[in-house]
Amino acid sequence: MVRSIRFLVAFTTLVGLVLAACGAPAQTTQPTAAPQPAPTDTQPVRIGSKNFTEAILVAEMYALALEDAGIRVERKFNLGATPVAHTALVNGEIDLYPEYTSTGLLEVLKQAPISDARGILEAVRRGYEEQFKATWLEPSPFNNTNALAMTRQRADELGIKTYSDLVAFSGELKLGGPPEFPEREDTKGLMAAYGFDPKFIEENFVQLDTGALRYEALTRGDIDVVVAFGTDGQINGLGLALLEDDKNYYPIYQIAPVIRQDVLTANPKIAETLNRLAPLLTNDVMSGLNWQVDGPEKKEIADVARAFLQQQGFIK
Amino acid sequence: MIDLLIDAYQYFLANQSRFWTAATQHLWISSAALAISIAAGLPLGVWTAHEARIGQWAINLFGALRLVPSLAVLFLVQPYLGIGTTPALVALTLLAIPPVLIATYAGVRSVDSGVREAARGMGMTAGQILWRVELPLALPSIVGGVRTAAVEVIASATLAAFIGGGGLGIFITRGYALFDTRIMLVGAIPVALLALMAELSLGWMQRRLASGLGAAT
Repeated sequence: MVRSIRFLVAFTTLVGLVLAACGAPAQTTQPTAAPQPAPTDTQPVRIGSKNFTEAILVAEMYALALEDAGIRVERKFNLGATPVAHTALVNGEIDLYPEYTSTGLLEVLKQAPISDARGILEAVRRGYEEQFKATWLEPSPFNNTNALAMTRQRADELGIKTYSDLVAFSGELKLGGPPEFPEREDTKGLMAAYGFDPKFIEENFVQLDTGALRYEALTRGDIDVVVAFGTDGQINGLGLALLEDDKNYYPIYQIAPVIRQDVLTANPKIAETLNRLAPLLTNDVMSGLNWQVDGPEKKEIADVARAFLQQQGFIK
Repeated sequence: MIDLLIDAYQYFLANQSRFWTAATQHLWISSAALAISIAAGLPLGVWTAHEARIGQWAINLFGALRLVPSLAVLFLVQPYLGIGTTPALVALTLLAIPPVLIATYAGVRSVDSGVREAARGMGMTAGQILWRVELPLALPSIVGGVRTAAVEVIASATLAAFIGGGGLGIFITRGYALFDTRIMLVGAIPVALLALMAELSLGWMQRRLASGLGAAT
């Protein structure tokens, strides 16, 4: 109890600091602020996003698609981590934002993981409708879940395509990942589910703090396997082999718009437009788009989103 | 607070092999950086002390070098040296050379010119003056510089964990990433203790040497 209170205090302080650094503390830190009225036709739809490339990229696509459909929007991107974006939605400071299905299930609703994509969607819809007066539109097909990747050359050399193939080499190959990886509950579960050699996350684990460093170490051959996310730009950009989680251990993280129900009822066109956009975003597409922003080209997120939707003929 | 320490101790008990690997790496990398910086800083310090014209200039340069944060050095050398202990060793050595060099310089320069004259009058060669007069007199100051360097290196070796160099910093970064204070403490407390031990033992040595000199003169 004492520990959880201490954690809460520390967490609140940190979130507060982050918000203060963003220069917008008054709006989001006051839970007492009365929910603002839902927008009518004259009010713009306020689109939020979390604070990383993919989240902003998808939010920008939502904004462009809605604008193209004649709906006025206001962009309130870069809101921080899940708790910040979610609180903003519940308090009526934003009307919709892109969220990952399993994040909603595990982090927000704090329910147990579900293995099939449809089941997750039904559970989060039910939970959000009951608790937050919000719901989920159709998710995109891509799955940005925890993943393991190798250089294509090394994977072919050893004949590794799936996690099960990797087990035989897990006592000798070097794994590079973020500091928390060996300690996470889902990592321990993964180790047990496949029967990986414990050395894989002990002696042979190389702790590397940033994603850029991990991919560099992989391409230099300092490590053999890297902890990745399914849509990391580097997978497409560096032509890496994403290994298959053949026992479907990791939850599925598909992105979908989370939207306030009153806003959805007032503007049925929103659902129609965004549901039409969703199928365009596959793993390969998303990884490629992320790479245009995070890779050597360093393009602007808004430009990448617009160019993609235009090229798809989705917007003018 | 107490229950947090107990939690940290339990984490330590459950992860002993991981802990001792990290602690060994930490000590190894700190000692290596310190040894290299003494091997480089001491002769450089003596040389600059004897070359009055460039001496001050060199001291200022190395003083300025100290101001570059080790984390920046780490990320600057990383693209050339890759990941692991090598870039960490370079960053830590660059951190440790200035205090050793400056203390050596100051120690040798502080030797009374009368003492040096007397030694020369007794027929000592330059080498004999260095080994029998200047270095013994400068030793307390040099040990003081090594003390400063050791404390800085032990504390900064935690940075190695950012780039795959291991060390006790892995618990600090991991605890931070997981928002888990007890894991952080498993890294932070031993680092603080190691730094304290270095500070106390080298401080004690420095005082002994200084008082020995005081008694001799």
